Amino acid sequence: MKLDTSGLEAPAPILGGIDDLSVDFAAAQSFDLPGCADFDGFQKDAVQMVKPAKGTTTLAFIFKEGVIVAADSRASMGGYISSQSVKKIIEINPYMLGTMAGGAADCQFWHRNLGIKCRLHELANKRRISVTGASKLLANILYSYRGMGLSVGTMIAGWDEKGPGLYYVDSEGGRLKGTRFSVGSGSPYAYGVLDNGYRYDLSIEEAAELGRRAIYHATFRDGASGGVASVYFVGPNGWKKMSGDDVGELHYKYYPVTTTPVEQEMAEVPAA
Amino acid sequence: MSRRGDWVYENNGGTCVAIAGADYCVVAADTRLSTGYSIYTRDYSKICKLADKCVLASSGFQGDIKALQKNLSARHLIYQHQHNKQMSCPAMAQLLSNTLYYKRFFPYYAFNVLGGLDNEGKGCVFTYDAVGSYERVGYSSQGSGSTLIMPVLDNQLKSPSPLLLPAKDSVTPLSEMEAVDLVKDVFASATERDIYTGDKLEIVIINASGIQHEFMELRKD
Amino acid sequence: MSIFEYNGSAVVAMVGKNCFAIASDRRLGVNLQTIATDFQRIYKIHDKLYIGLSGLATDAQTLYQRLVFRHKLYQLREERDMRPETFASLVSAILYEKRFGPYFCQPVIAGLGDDNKPFICTMDCIGAKELAKDFVVSGTASESLYGACESMFKPDLEPDELFEVVSQALLASVDRDCLSGWGGHVLIVTPTEVLERTLKGRMD
Repeated sequence: MKLDTSGLEAPAPILGGIDDLSVDFAAAQSFDLPGCADFDGFQKDAVQMVKPAKGTTTLAFIFKEGVIVAADSRASMGGYISSQSVKKIIEINPYMLGTMAGGAADCQFWHRNLGIKCRLHELANKRRISVTGASKLLANILYSYRGMGLSVGTMIAGWDEKGPGLYYVDSEGGRLKGTRFSVGSGSPYAYGVLDNGYRYDLSIEEAAELGRRAIYHATFRDGASGGVASVYFVGPNGWKKMSGDDVGELHYKYYPVTTTPVEQEMAEVPAA
Repeated sequence: MSRRGDWVYENNGGTCVAIAGADYCVVAADTRLSTGYSIYTRDYSKICKLADKCVLASSGFQGDIKALQKNLSARHLIYQHQHNKQMSCPAMAQLLSNTLYYKRFFPYYAFNVLGGLDNEGKGCVFTYDAVGSYERVGYSSQGSGSTLIMPVLDNQLKSPSPLLLPAKDSVTPLSEMEAVDLVKDVFASATERDIYTGDKLEIVIINASGIQHEFMELRKD
Repeated sequence: MSIFEYNGSAVVAMVGKNCFAIASDRRLGVNLQTIATDFQRIYKIHDKLYIGLSGLATDAQTLYQRLVFRHKLYQLREERDMRPETFASLVSAILYEKRFGPYFCQPVIAGLGDDNKPFICTMDCIGAKELAKDFVVSGTASESLYGACESMFKPDLEPDELFEVVSQALLASVDRDCLSGWGGHVLIVTPTEVLERTLKGRMD
C-alpha cells in the first residue's frame, strides 16, 4: 500500500550542513507500522488498550448570512470523562473552520496538516483556497488511509469566493456538500432541534441561538456529550466566536428551577 | 488482554499529576513499577526533564516511555544545536503530539502529562492520549490512579473553562505551597485504593528560580 | 459494555457521628441515552434502614420488591423492624439464591442499628458482604467515588457536615462519569429525623 505522507515532510529543507548531524531525525517522518502479519487484529487490540478519546456532538449549517458551526467539548474514554474542555472547533485559517468528531488525535493531527496545506496553497497561488478544495484535500488524505482504522467525522465550513461553503468529510472516504450537518454520538438529538428551528432567512443572532440550543439538547440526552457549548459564525469577514456557555449553567438558564408552590396546607377543621 | 504472539505491550501502572499556577508548575508521579500483581521496583522515576523549563511525566509501558523520552531528548538536542536555545514548553508539547501520532498505527503505550513554564513564565500543563491528541489545561492526572484523582482536583481547583465567552481567568487559584500539599493529599488517597500506585511520591516544582525536587513516602502495600 | 453499566448509576453511603448518609444520582439511561432524570435508586426499608441498588434498574426494582415482601413478613412475625445486620444477611441470602443467574445489582445498605449505631455495607451481585467503618460506594462512577470519598471523608462528622461532604463527593464523581449524574439525591439519617434533599447538578 502506498501512503500519502507528502504533507508530513519538513516544509523547507533545514540549513545545509547541519543535515549531516541529524540524519535520522531531520528526514521526513513516516508512520511506523507493527511488524506483524495480522495488522487488523493488532489495531483492534491496540485501540482496545489505549482507548483514544471519543464522543461528540457537532453541527454546522448554512443560512442567509453565512455558516454557523457549533460543538460541545467533552472527551470520554469508555464511561470515564477524560476532558470537559476539548476544543472541537478547529481554526484552520481566519476564513475556515473544521469540526472534530471521532478519534481526537486523528482529527487534531489531520486538521493541523490541512492548515499547513491550505497556507502553502495560499502562498503558491496568491489567493485563499476554496472550501471545496480544502475539503477535497482532506478527503483524499483520509481515503488513502481507508481501512487502517482512522476515525474522523468532520465538517469543513468556511467562506470563499463563491460565498459560504460546507462539506462533510469522513474517514471512510465520504465527502458530501450540504447546508445542514450534525456529526457525532449526540447528532440525532441535535438534528431534532436543528431541523425544527431551521430557516434559511434566520438572523445571525437567531442562528447562533439555534446552534447553541441544538448542542445543549444533545448534551442533555447524550451521555458522551457535554461541557461547554461553543458557537462560531463564519461570514464574509472570516469567522467569529459567537458564544461559549457552560452547559451546566445553560440548563438552568433554559429551565430555571421554580420552587414548587406549596399546595394548600391541610387546615385544622374548626370545631363545629 | 489479548495474548497474541506478536503482542509487545505491558502495563507498568503508575499515576502522574500536574498542576499549573500563575508562576509555577508542579509535576508529580509515584515511583512504583509493577506488572500484574507483582512489583518490579519501588524506586523508579517516571519523570523526565526534557528542557530547562519542561518536564514530562508518563505512565503506561515503561519500555515505550523510555524510547519516547530518548527520542524527544535527541530531537531537543538537535533543536538546541540549530537554534542555540532551549525549546519552549508549548513547542515541546506540539513535538510530543506529533511524535505520538507518527506511531498512530503502532502506538507508544504511554499516557503523558507535560508540565513547565511558557514563554511568559506562566505555568502550563499539557495532557495527552496515547496517540497524540493534546490539550493545554490548568491541571491534569494520567495513569492508573487518574480516575480516583481527577474528581478531587476538579472539586478543589475547578477553574472556568478556557472555551467560555466572555472569557474568564482560568488560572489555578492556589499558591505553590498549597498546590504541593494538594498533590501530596491526592496521592495519599489514590494509594489507598489503587494497587499500581504507591511506594514513593516524586514531586518536581518548576518556577522562575529553576527546578526543585521533593519526595514523600507513600504506602508500600 | 457490561450489563452493570447499561442504565448507569452512582451510589454512596457514609458514616457520621451517630448518623449516616446515603446518596445516589438521578439518571436512568439506556447506554449513552438519558431516559429519565428523576430516577430513584435509594429505597426505604423502614425509618432507619435504606438500601441503594446500583446496576441494572429492572433487577434493582424486582429485588427491592422481594426485599420489602420479606421484610413485611418479618415485621408480622416478629412485631419489630429488622436490624441492619440482619437485613444485610437477608439481602446476601436472596442474592446467593440466584448464584448462577444473578440480579445485576450491587447493593449498598445503610441503617441505624441497636442503640443507633450506624451500619453500612455493600456486596457484589451474588451476595458477598463487605462491611465498612467509613464509606462504601457502588455503580459506574465507583472509581471516581473511591477517590473523592478517600480524600474528603473524615470520621465522626455531624449531620450537616456529613451532608456537605457526601454531596461534594457525589457531584465531583458523577461529573467525571458519562453514565451517571443529572442531579443527586441525598438522605441524612439521624436517630431522631431523616433529612432528604435533592441536589442540583450538571445536566450533561
